[in-house]
Amino acid sequence: MTKLPLAALALAVAATAGLSAPAHATGAIKCDAGPQSGWKSREALESKLTKDGWQVRKSKVDGGCYEVYGTTPEGDRVEAYFHPVTFEKLYVARRGQVLFRAKGY
Amino acid sequence: MTIATAFPYPTPVAKLRSLLNSLPFFWLLLAIPGALMLAGWLDGAIDTMDMLHPTGETSARLMIAAMLIGPLTGVLGARRWLGWLLRRRRALGVSAFLYALAHLVFYVIDMGNLDDMLAEIGAPGIWTGWVALALMLPLACTSNNAAMRALGAAWKRLQRLAYPAAILTLLHWWWVHNGLAGALAHFAPLALVWLALAARRLQSVDAPPRTPKGIRP
Repeated sequence: MTKLPLAALALAVAATAGLSAPAHATGAIKCDAGPQSGWKSREALESKLTKDGWQVRKSKVDGGCYEVYGTTPEGDRVEAYFHPVTFEKLYVARRGQVLFRAKGY
Repeated sequence: MTIATAFPYPTPVAKLRSLLNSLPFFWLLLAIPGALMLAGWLDGAIDTMDMLHPTGETSARLMIAAMLIGPLTGVLGARRWLGWLLRRRRALGVSAFLYALAHLVFYVIDMGNLDDMLAEIGAPGIWTGWVALALMLPLACTSNNAAMRALGAAWKRLQRLAYPAAILTLLHWWWVHNGLAGALAHFAPLALVWLALAARRLQSVDAPPRTPKGIRP
Protein backbone atom coordinates (compact mmCIF):
# COMPACT_ATOMS: atom_id res chain seq x y z
CA MET A 1 0.00 0.00 0.00
CA THR A 2 2.74 2.44 -0.84
CA LYS A 3 1.11 3.56 -4.09
CA LEU A 4 -0.81 6.52 -2.69
CA PRO A 5 2.13 8.21 -0.95
CA LEU A 6 4.30 7.59 -3.99
CA ALA A 7 1.69 9.02 -6.35
CA ALA A 8 1.34 12.06 -4.11
CA LEU A 9 5.09 12.42 -4.11
CA ALA A 10 5.26 12.24 -7.90
CA LEU A 11 2.62 14.97 -8.07
CA ALA A 12 4.57 17.01 -5.55
CA VAL A 13 7.68 16.76 -7.68
CA ALA A 14 5.72 17.70 -10.79
CA ALA A 15 4.21 20.69 -8.99
CA THR A 16 7.63 21.75 -7.79
CA ALA A 17 8.95 21.54 -11.32
CA GLY A 18 6.16 23.89 -12.36
CA LEU A 19 7.39 26.50 -9.89
CA SER A 20 9.92 27.98 -12.20
CA ALA A 21 7.24 29.17 -14.62
CA PRO A 22 7.29 32.96 -14.51
CA ALA A 23 4.15 34.59 -13.15
CA HIS A 24 4.81 38.28 -13.48
CA ALA A 25 1.60 39.60 -15.00
CA THR A 26 -0.90 39.92 -12.20
CA GLY A 27 -3.56 40.23 -14.90
CA ALA A 28 -6.16 41.70 -12.57
CA ILE A 29 -8.13 42.83 -15.63
CA LYS A 30 -7.74 42.71 -19.41
CA CYS A 31 -8.10 45.48 -21.97
CA ASP A 32 -8.97 44.82 -25.58
CA ALA A 33 -7.60 48.05 -27.02
CA GLY A 34 -6.26 46.96 -30.38
CA PRO A 35 -2.65 47.24 -31.56
CA GLN A 36 -0.18 49.24 -29.47
CA SER A 37 0.36 51.62 -32.39
CA GLY A 38 -3.11 53.01 -31.69
CA TRP A 39 -2.45 53.58 -27.97
CA LYS A 40 -1.66 56.88 -26.32
CA SER A 41 1.71 56.94 -24.60
CA ARG A 42 2.35 55.89 -21.02
CA GLU A 43 4.07 59.22 -20.41
CA ALA A 44 0.87 61.01 -21.46
CA LEU A 45 -1.09 58.96 -18.92
CA GLU A 46 1.43 59.68 -16.19
CA SER A 47 1.34 63.43 -16.80
CA LYS A 48 -2.47 63.41 -16.95
CA LEU A 49 -2.63 61.55 -13.64
CA THR A 50 -0.07 63.89 -12.05
CA LYS A 51 -2.17 66.85 -13.15
CA ASP A 52 -5.23 65.17 -11.59
CA GLY A 53 -3.42 64.95 -8.24
CA TRP A 54 -1.94 61.45 -8.42
CA GLN A 55 1.60 60.57 -7.46
CA VAL A 56 2.85 58.00 -9.95
CA ARG A 57 5.56 55.66 -8.70
CA LYS A 58 5.75 53.34 -11.64
CA SER A 59 3.73 52.32 -14.68
CA LYS A 60 3.81 49.46 -17.14
CA VAL A 61 1.70 47.45 -19.57
CA ASP A 62 -0.26 44.58 -18.03
CA GLY A 63 -3.09 42.58 -19.59
CA GLY A 64 -3.27 45.03 -22.49
CA CYS A 65 -3.92 47.92 -20.07
CA TYR A 66 -1.67 50.50 -18.48
CA GLU A 67 -1.00 49.55 -14.90
CA VAL A 68 0.03 52.32 -12.54
CA TYR A 69 1.46 52.07 -9.04
CA GLY A 70 1.01 55.26 -7.08
CA THR A 71 -1.00 57.38 -4.67
CA THR A 72 -4.52 58.60 -5.49
CA PRO A 73 -5.53 62.25 -4.98
CA GLU A 74 -7.25 60.97 -1.80
CA GLY A 75 -3.91 59.70 -0.51
CA ASP A 76 -4.36 55.94 -0.93
CA ARG A 77 -1.40 53.84 -2.07
CA VAL A 78 -2.86 51.76 -4.88
CA GLU A 79 -2.35 49.77 -8.04
CA ALA A 80 -4.64 51.07 -10.84
CA TYR A 81 -5.45 50.05 -14.40
CA PHE A 82 -6.29 52.47 -17.21
CA HIS A 83 -7.47 51.95 -20.76
CA PRO A 84 -4.49 52.69 -23.04
CA VAL A 85 -6.61 54.52 -25.64
CA THR A 86 -9.23 56.37 -23.61
CA PHE A 87 -7.29 56.59 -20.31
CA GLU A 88 -10.52 55.56 -18.60
CA LYS A 89 -9.93 54.36 -15.03
CA LEU A 90 -10.87 50.68 -14.99
CA TYR A 91 -9.70 49.15 -11.76
CA VAL A 92 -8.17 50.29 -8.49
CA ALA A 93 -6.88 47.95 -5.79
CA ARG A 94 -4.92 48.28 -2.59
CA ARG A 95 -2.72 45.23 -2.01
CA GLY A 96 -5.18 43.04 -3.88
CA GLN A 97 -8.24 44.54 -2.14
CA VAL A 98 -10.46 45.94 -4.91
CA LEU A 99 -11.48 49.56 -4.29
CA PHE A 100 -12.96 50.32 -7.71
CA ARG A 101 -13.91 48.34 -10.78
CA ALA A 102 -15.42 49.92 -13.91
CA LYS A 103 -18.57 48.36 -15.33
CA GLY A 104 -17.82 45.49 -17.69
CA TYR A 105 -14.30 44.87 -16.32
CA MET B 1 37.88 0.96 -0.43
CA THR B 2 37.20 4.68 -0.20
CA ILE B 3 39.70 7.46 -0.48
CA ALA B 4 39.32 8.24 3.21
CA THR B 5 40.41 4.76 4.32
CA ALA B 6 43.11 4.42 1.69
CA PHE B 7 45.05 7.41 2.98
CA PRO B 8 45.89 8.18 6.58
CA TYR B 9 45.04 11.87 6.21
CA PRO B 10 42.43 13.69 4.11
CA THR B 11 43.34 14.30 0.50
CA PRO B 12 42.68 17.72 -1.06
CA VAL B 13 39.64 16.22 -2.80
CA ALA B 14 38.25 14.86 0.47
CA LYS B 15 38.89 18.20 2.13
CA LEU B 16 37.05 20.01 -0.65
CA ARG B 17 34.18 17.54 -0.43
CA SER B 18 33.77 18.03 3.28
CA LEU B 19 33.97 21.80 2.85
CA LEU B 20 31.23 21.75 0.18
CA ASN B 21 29.18 19.47 2.39
CA SER B 22 29.57 21.64 5.50
CA LEU B 23 26.83 23.62 7.17
CA PRO B 24 28.56 27.00 6.71
CA PHE B 25 28.76 26.32 2.97
CA PHE B 26 25.03 25.51 2.96
CA TRP B 27 24.36 28.86 4.67
CA LEU B 28 26.45 30.52 1.98
CA LEU B 29 24.30 28.89 -0.72
CA LEU B 30 21.15 30.12 1.00
CA ALA B 31 22.55 33.66 1.09
CA ILE B 32 23.34 33.80 -2.65
CA PRO B 33 19.84 34.74 -3.93
CA GLY B 34 19.66 37.49 -1.31
CA ALA B 35 23.09 38.80 -2.24
CA LEU B 36 22.09 38.95 -5.92
CA MET B 37 18.84 40.78 -5.10
CA LEU B 38 20.67 43.24 -2.86
CA ALA B 39 23.34 43.87 -5.49
CA GLY B 40 20.62 44.58 -8.08
CA TRP B 41 18.88 46.99 -5.74
CA LEU B 42 22.05 48.85 -4.73
CA ASP B 43 22.96 49.08 -8.39
CA GLY B 44 19.57 50.64 -9.18
CA ALA B 45 18.64 47.82 -11.55
CA ILE B 46 15.79 46.68 -9.26
CA ASP B 47 13.22 49.14 -7.88
CA THR B 48 12.47 48.92 -4.17
CA MET B 49 8.92 47.90 -5.07
CA ASP B 50 10.26 45.03 -7.15
CA MET B 51 12.30 43.68 -4.23
CA LEU B 52 9.08 42.60 -2.51
CA HIS B 53 8.21 39.69 -4.75
CA PRO B 54 11.63 37.95 -4.88
CA THR B 55 12.30 38.31 -1.14
CA GLY B 56 8.84 37.03 -0.25
CA GLU B 57 8.94 34.20 -2.75
CA THR B 58 12.38 33.05 -1.58
CA SER B 59 11.18 33.11 2.01
CA ALA B 60 8.14 30.99 1.15
CA ARG B 61 10.26 28.52 -0.84
CA LEU B 62 12.68 28.02 2.04
CA MET B 63 9.82 27.69 4.51
CA ILE B 64 8.16 25.05 2.34
CA ALA B 65 11.47 23.21 1.90
CA ALA B 66 12.02 23.15 5.67
CA MET B 67 8.47 21.94 6.31
CA LEU B 68 8.64 19.18 3.69
CA ILE B 69 11.50 17.31 5.35
CA GLY B 70 9.61 16.02 8.41
CA PRO B 71 6.52 14.68 6.63
CA LEU B 72 8.66 13.27 3.80
CA THR B 73 10.58 11.25 6.37
CA GLY B 74 7.23 10.05 7.71
CA VAL B 75 6.11 8.96 4.25
CA LEU B 76 9.34 7.50 2.88
CA GLY B 77 11.00 6.36 6.06
CA ALA B 78 14.58 7.25 6.96
CA ARG B 79 16.67 7.94 3.87
CA ARG B 80 20.20 9.18 3.62
CA TRP B 81 19.29 12.25 1.60
CA LEU B 82 16.49 13.07 4.02
CA GLY B 83 18.96 12.85 6.88
CA TRP B 84 21.24 15.20 4.98
CA LEU B 85 18.34 17.64 4.61
CA LEU B 86 17.26 17.17 8.22
CA ARG B 87 20.66 18.37 9.39
CA ARG B 88 20.04 21.50 7.32
CA ARG B 89 16.42 22.07 8.30
CA ARG B 90 17.27 24.72 10.87
CA ALA B 91 19.29 26.65 8.29
CA LEU B 92 16.33 26.48 5.88
CA GLY B 93 13.84 27.64 8.52
CA VAL B 94 15.97 30.46 9.89
CA SER B 95 16.85 31.72 6.43
CA ALA B 96 13.13 31.66 5.53
CA PHE B 97 12.63 34.03 8.45
CA LEU B 98 15.58 36.22 7.39
CA TYR B 99 14.20 36.54 3.85
CA ALA B 100 10.79 37.39 5.34
CA LEU B 101 12.50 40.07 7.43
CA ALA B 102 14.16 41.46 4.28
CA HIS B 103 10.71 41.39 2.65
CA LEU B 104 9.40 43.58 5.52
CA VAL B 105 12.39 45.93 5.37
CA PHE B 106 11.84 46.57 1.64
CA TYR B 107 8.10 46.99 2.22
CA VAL B 108 8.85 49.65 4.85
CA ILE B 109 11.36 51.39 2.57
CA ASP B 110 8.87 51.30 -0.32
CA MET B 111 5.98 52.63 1.77
CA GLY B 112 8.21 55.27 3.29
CA ASN B 113 5.93 56.28 6.15
CA LEU B 114 3.88 54.77 8.96
CA ASP B 115 0.57 56.41 7.92
CA ASP B 116 0.49 54.61 4.56
CA MET B 117 1.35 51.33 6.24
CA LEU B 118 -1.40 51.72 8.84
CA ALA B 119 -3.89 52.75 6.15
CA GLU B 120 -3.62 49.36 4.45
CA ILE B 121 -3.02 47.14 7.46
CA GLY B 122 -6.65 45.96 7.31
CA ALA B 123 -6.34 44.74 3.72
CA PRO B 124 -6.55 40.92 3.75
CA GLY B 125 -3.34 40.68 1.74
CA ILE B 126 -1.48 42.75 4.32
CA TRP B 127 -2.53 41.67 7.80
CA THR B 128 -1.97 38.04 6.88
CA GLY B 129 1.64 38.91 6.04
CA TRP B 130 2.15 40.73 9.33
CA VAL B 131 0.71 37.85 11.38
CA ALA B 132 2.71 35.25 9.45
CA LEU B 133 5.92 37.13 10.19
CA ALA B 134 4.94 37.58 13.84
CA LEU B 135 4.44 33.80 14.12
CA MET B 136 7.82 33.14 12.52
CA LEU B 137 9.64 35.37 15.00
CA PRO B 138 9.47 33.02 18.04
CA LEU B 139 10.32 30.08 15.74
CA ALA B 140 13.49 31.76 14.53
CA CYS B 141 14.45 32.93 18.03
CA THR B 142 14.17 29.39 19.43
CA SER B 143 15.99 27.72 16.54
CA ASN B 144 19.11 27.03 18.59
CA ASN B 145 20.30 24.24 20.89
CA ALA B 146 20.08 26.35 24.06
CA ALA B 147 16.41 27.17 23.45
CA MET B 148 15.68 23.51 22.63
CA ARG B 149 17.19 22.41 25.95
CA ALA B 150 15.48 25.17 27.93
CA LEU B 151 12.03 24.54 26.46
CA GLY B 152 12.10 20.75 26.50
CA ALA B 153 8.80 19.28 25.28
CA ALA B 154 7.33 22.75 24.82
CA TRP B 155 9.82 23.41 22.01
CA LYS B 156 8.07 20.98 19.68
CA ARG B 157 4.67 22.50 20.48
CA LEU B 158 6.04 25.98 19.86
CA GLN B 159 7.53 24.97 16.50
CA ARG B 160 4.08 23.85 15.35
CA LEU B 161 3.37 27.57 14.88
CA ALA B 162 5.02 26.94 11.51
CA TYR B 163 1.71 25.45 10.30
CA PRO B 164 -0.48 28.54 10.84
CA ALA B 165 2.44 30.67 9.62
CA ALA B 166 2.55 28.66 6.37
CA ILE B 167 -1.21 28.93 5.86
CA LEU B 168 -1.13 32.70 6.47
CA THR B 169 1.81 33.01 4.08
CA LEU B 170 -0.23 31.24 1.40
CA LEU B 171 -3.21 33.57 2.01
CA HIS B 172 -0.94 36.62 2.05
CA TRP B 173 0.54 35.65 -1.31
CA TRP B 174 -2.82 34.78 -2.83
CA TRP B 175 -4.61 37.95 -1.74
CA VAL B 176 -1.85 40.49 -2.22
CA HIS B 177 -1.04 39.16 -5.66
CA ASN B 178 -4.55 38.96 -7.09
CA GLY B 179 -4.14 35.34 -8.02
CA LEU B 180 -3.86 31.91 -6.60
CA ALA B 181 -1.76 30.20 -9.27
CA GLY B 182 1.73 31.20 -8.13
CA ALA B 183 1.06 30.67 -4.46
CA LEU B 184 -0.69 27.36 -5.02
CA ALA B 185 2.09 25.99 -7.23
CA HIS B 186 4.46 26.53 -4.31
CA PHE B 187 2.29 25.17 -1.55
CA ALA B 188 0.89 22.17 -3.44
CA PRO B 189 3.90 19.94 -2.65
CA LEU B 190 3.42 20.62 1.05
CA ALA B 191 -0.30 19.85 0.90
CA LEU B 192 0.34 16.66 -1.05
CA VAL B 193 2.97 15.38 1.36
CA TRP B 194 0.67 16.12 4.30
CA LEU B 195 -2.09 14.18 2.56
CA ALA B 196 0.25 11.28 1.85
CA LEU B 197 1.34 11.24 5.49
CA ALA B 198 -2.25 11.38 6.72
CA ALA B 199 -3.19 8.52 4.36
CA ARG B 200 -0.27 6.47 5.63
CA ARG B 201 -1.19 7.09 9.25
CA LEU B 202 -4.81 6.14 8.60
CA GLN B 203 -3.68 2.92 6.96
CA SER B 204 -1.43 1.96 9.82
CA VAL B 205 -4.12 2.72 12.43
CA ASP B 206 -7.11 1.18 10.67
CA ALA B 207 -5.62 -1.66 8.72
CA PRO B 208 -6.18 -5.02 10.40
CA PRO B 209 -3.51 -7.64 9.82
CA ARG B 210 -3.44 -8.43 6.11
CA THR B 211 -5.36 -11.44 4.95
CA PRO B 212 -5.05 -13.14 1.57
CA LYS B 213 -7.15 -11.55 -1.18
CA GLY B 214 -10.78 -12.56 -1.31
CA ILE B 215 -10.89 -14.01 2.17
CA ARG B 216 -12.76 -12.02 4.77
CA PRO B 217 -11.63 -12.40 8.31
